[in-house]
Amino acid sequence: MRAVLFGILFFTLNSIMAQEFRTDISYKYIFANKWDKAIQTYNFSRPFLEEKQPLLMHGLNASVSYIFKSSKSLKHGINLSYTYFKSSTDNKNMNNILNLHFLNLGYIIHYENNEKTKGLYTDLIISAVSSGVFRNVNDEPFEYDDTRSKAFGIGGDLSIRAGYYLNLKNKIYLSPFVLVGYTPYIYSPNSEALINQTKGLVSNNWTGIFTTQVGLTFHIRQQKND
Amino acid sequence: MDRRHFIKQSTLLSIGGLLIPSTLLSACRKETLFEDINYDGKVIIIGAGAAGLFAAYTLKSKGIDFQILEASANYGGRLGKLTGFANFPIDTGAQWLHGKNSILGDLITKSNTKITLDDSETKYWFNNQLVNSLPQNTDIFEGDDLPDISYNDYALQKGLGNEYKYIVENIAGDQGAAATRLSVFGNNQDEENWNSGVDDFKFQETYFDLIDTQFASQVKNKILFNTIVTTIDYSQSTIQITDSKNNTYNADKVIITVPIPILKSADIQFIPTLPNEKTTAFSKIGMDAGMKVFLKFSNKFFDQNIIGGPICAAYADDSIGKAQNDNVLLAFIMGVQAEYLTSLGSDTAITTAILQELDTMYNGQATASFVASHVQNWTTNPFVKGAYSYSTIDMGDARKVATKPINKKLYFAGEAMNTNGHHQTVHGAVETGYREVINILNDIKK
Repeated sequence: MRAVLFGILFFTLNSIMAQEFRTDISYKYIFANKWDKAIQTYNFSRPFLEEKQPLLMHGLNASVSYIFKSSKSLKHGINLSYTYFKSSTDNKNMNNILNLHFLNLGYIIHYENNEKTKGLYTDLIISAVSSGVFRNVNDEPFEYDDTRSKAFGIGGDLSIRAGYYLNLKNKIYLSPFVLVGYTPYIYSPNSEALINQTKGLVSNNWTGIFTTQVGLTFHIRQQKND
Repeated sequence: MDRRHFIKQSTLLSIGGLLIPSTLLSACRKETLFEDINYDGKVIIIGAGAAGLFAAYTLKSKGIDFQILEASANYGGRLGKLTGFANFPIDTGAQWLHGKNSILGDLITKSNTKITLDDSETKYWFNNQLVNSLPQNTDIFEGDDLPDISYNDYALQKGLGNEYKYIVENIAGDQGAAATRLSVFGNNQDEENWNSGVDDFKFQETYFDLIDTQFASQVKNKILFNTIVTTIDYSQSTIQITDSKNNTYNADKVIITVPIPILKSADIQFIPTLPNEKTTAFSKIGMDAGMKVFLKFSNKFFDQNIIGGPICAAYADDSIGKAQNDNVLLAFIMGVQAEYLTSLGSDTAITTAILQELDTMYNGQATASFVASHVQNWTTNPFVKGAYSYSTIDMGDARKVATKPINKKLYFAGEAMNTNGHHQTVHGAVETGYREVINILNDIKK
């Protein structure tokens, strides 16, 4: 109950303070070269699998952001983002699923200039990234030594996002947006052991990730743009 | 341009600007390594053990021409199967699946192969009696800052006196080594790289059956048996291999999977000679004597595992995990104990020595109920000469040096060439088999 009350209080206070509250949903594409290599090696080394394991590349993202109140063109805010990727095969006697989760906590530098580029906005997002890869075999978590096979990771990400505000009603806006991002380093020492079941054979214990994203954002804004 | 058009166009441009490169990038990203590679050269694999067979299986999947030259009359290397001795099939070589998190774990799931967790109980032969537990903790060989000294010396340093000699011999024997030769530091490093899991599993059939049915069966028609390679001449662009009958075989690439003692004892002559750093690296990789003796009895007087015998430091009930339960006890003998028993000169003498030890432990019941024995001495097999590789004192990065391909022509596989902590194991050998195919294809691509 306390947690619920705290949540309501937090949301209310932030709504009062916020220039803008956002929530969005998007499609996310990633290119993580080391994880690719681990999956490619997994597929190469297992000719006995009729269906190959797809690379981790297409995912769904949801995020919430607060942009703090400011009269300047340059504002700042915070962002919490979750992304889910799945790679699944269904071979005889062995369906193998890799579930990849990302949780990003980011700081937003938000820019909009209503005089020059009315409705357009740009965000620079610097995030701390945590990742988790899990494996399911035959619809059950893959375990060995009575422990679930898992690979956690941690790193940093830099993204640039651009969108355009469309006013729906009063303070309510919708904006299509695009985002490109780069995670130069995510330390995930167990990922090869989880994916290819080896350590040090395929790749290092880290990867870089290139991301692109396209989606729609729902905004509640204190200040009208048109 | 009005606002509506601007929004529409900028939205479409943005989405297109992201999706088109993403789609193109997706199309470039292949699911498998070397998906489009086309190689018309020939690969010869020397040795039809797990590494050689899996390398062949991988080459076959890529449509690459290959041939396997095997010195003995059988395939499987240090995997073997004995039928007719008991009412269940017996593994004469590798027997336990060490951890499920491996390529062979996947193969077992895929092929629905029946395995059972080996959680059998252990008794210790300690101070001339069988006990359920030991007075002192013997789990001292893992941790930080361990010295590069032998298990034997480290045990003494840690206060495990002479009464623990054969307990320590068993711990080292698990790694295929004599306690005086296995490095505490080196083996601990190996353990740190290990990621397959610590549970051991037994096959209801045999380990050999898994290999045989799942991939050896697909490549065994390409094995030339009784072909003892004596020379590998890699001085020209085409590699020429000569066998003991003076037959020659030509190849563009050669994968050498023979056990490390064969490389150490220079049973194969290389032309030109291998670099010094290579031969030095071979010499640093340990491989001791090893044998398995199966003893069949008319009744089960023995415990599931008996650790610490002066003749044999590890006995195990061989029927565990099997569909039938004949009374078969496995004597798993490594290192100095295997050297001693080999020196007795005959299978009968080896069996007698083991029965005497068991009689001491079980008040004469062994000889009284003895039915038959089978001795599998891997040390006296001229194409193996030992059990499996281990990390010696002052070994450094010998395994990595030993593994390096030479001149994009010679590639080295087999359990001893596994550099990611999985040496000594069948799945480790399999990993080197496909690793060297990857190395070959990478060299071709370059």
